[in-house]
Amino acid sequence: MSIPDKSHMKQDCANKRECMEMLQLIVDGEATPEQKEHFMKHHLEECLPCYNNYHLEVAVRQMLKSKCSGDCAPQELVDSIKAKVIRNLAS
Amino acid sequence: MELEETAKQHYTDAEKQHVFDNEFMPHINAMYNFAYRLTLDQDDSKDLVQDTYLKAYRFIDSFQQGTNAKAWLFRILKNSFINDYRKKSKEPSKVDYQEVESYYNSEEVDRQITPDLRVEALKDMIGDEISNALNALDVDFRTVIILSDLEGFKYDEMAKILDIPIGTVRSRLHRARNLLKEKLSEYAKQMGYKTA
Repeated sequence: MSIPDKSHMKQDCANKRECMEMLQLIVDGEATPEQKEHFMKHHLEECLPCYNNYHLEVAVRQMLKSKCSGDCAPQELVDSIKAKVIRNLAS
Repeated sequence: MELEETAKQHYTDAEKQHVFDNEFMPHINAMYNFAYRLTLDQDDSKDLVQDTYLKAYRFIDSFQQGTNAKAWLFRILKNSFINDYRKKSKEPSKVDYQEVESYYNSEEVDRQITPDLRVEALKDMIGDEISNALNALDVDFRTVIILSDLEGFKYDEMAKILDIPIGTVRSRLHRARNLLKEKLSEYAKQMGYKTA
């Protein structure tokens, strides 16, 4: 997405509520291609609050994914579960 | 994807082992992380994961091969957590979810101010702030963020995992994300960032 000229963008969003909902749909991958195209290509270029919110949402998700994805399950847990299941099958 | 009771399968032992090894076990890391985020305790999370997998095995005939195993397992884990572990947890739920839903539908949303948080401040945070902010959320808010942002479930899958309507999934996600951003914004202020 090209970086728009922020001085020419609206500083306030007239459809705050609809935009917040649409933003969430888009970032969650639940928007239709048409909805996404309209929002990303038209609205984001002209509305500074939505532009900022979009980038913030994306950044938060990236941080969550990279910092909170966690560890592997301990091997002893994996082994214990497998052993119990095999015992169940054998019994 | 069906999470409702499908017609009972009648797997042979060999088929059961196959389904268990190839469709259930691959999700154990995700399950362990989810269990840990719910219980915030290492021992409880191991027990919860083990209980879940044993239940999954016991009810394996209710699972249709090749369907969404991850969602099926997550649902079992979440129900086990509520039934067996939630009472033990240190945090009684203080959130009125009725209020959350009506808030989302009210005029308040239009006046709401998005928390002050800048991308730059966010990117300078080390892992702990994000992790702590996530853990600080009430468990039901934490859950929807994990399911959506960490595990990539869609709204309809989340609705089935959590036994709530899709509209509730969306409103709870919206609120959870704002709470998370508020928390991160607090950390950013502590770190000395000027707000947006």
